[in-house]
Amino acid sequence: MIGSIVVLAGAALTLLSAIGVVRFPEVMARMHSLTKASTLGYALVSIGVALQLSNTNDATTALLAGALQIVTLPLAANLIGRATHLTEGTRIEAIDELAEARERQRDAPG
Amino acid sequence: MTIVIYGLLCAAFVLFTYRLGRGPTLSDRVVALDGMLVAGGTLVLVDAADTGDGSYLMVAVMLTLVGFISTAVIARFIEGRSE
Repeated sequence: MIGSIVVLAGAALTLLSAIGVVRFPEVMARMHSLTKASTLGYALVSIGVALQLSNTNDATTALLAGALQIVTLPLAANLIGRATHLTEGTRIEAIDELAEARERQRDAPG
Repeated sequence: MTIVIYGLLCAAFVLFTYRLGRGPTLSDRVVALDGMLVAGGTLVLVDAADTGDGSYLMVAVMLTLVGFISTAVIARFIEGRSE
């Protein structure tokens, strides 16, 4: 019972991240929505599924999927965000440390 | 309860598909594709809990890895295209 409640919360978070990906105005904002909400949603779903499965082998496989997603989803978002920043820039006005770092690198001798 | 969970995840999948078709940039499509893989992997996990059969759980693990590797490769591609 508690397992299915946790799974329901995770599924709701996944839907929220999808709504954010559709509604947000810009690539960075969409990526923010996907990464934060989906990572937590996937982790919750994998924990809830592991609670419901009786076979230990299956439960640990579900937890492995969740752990891998926690590690890889922020990494993938970082890579895509960096590539987007280098090619298209961003419209959102905020502190832009990556642009400053690239400026310094360009000005540095050698 | 299970049908509600399936409904939420399928709605998320459809919304990601909308963003994949709409674009407008390549990065948007990559984000949408990543989200579709997340939603699909979640559906596999929920199916395993629903049927009590964990035969397909390895598919969820593989979907996670494929999502990460494909996103990393496309990010490299986007970076290389600008120079």
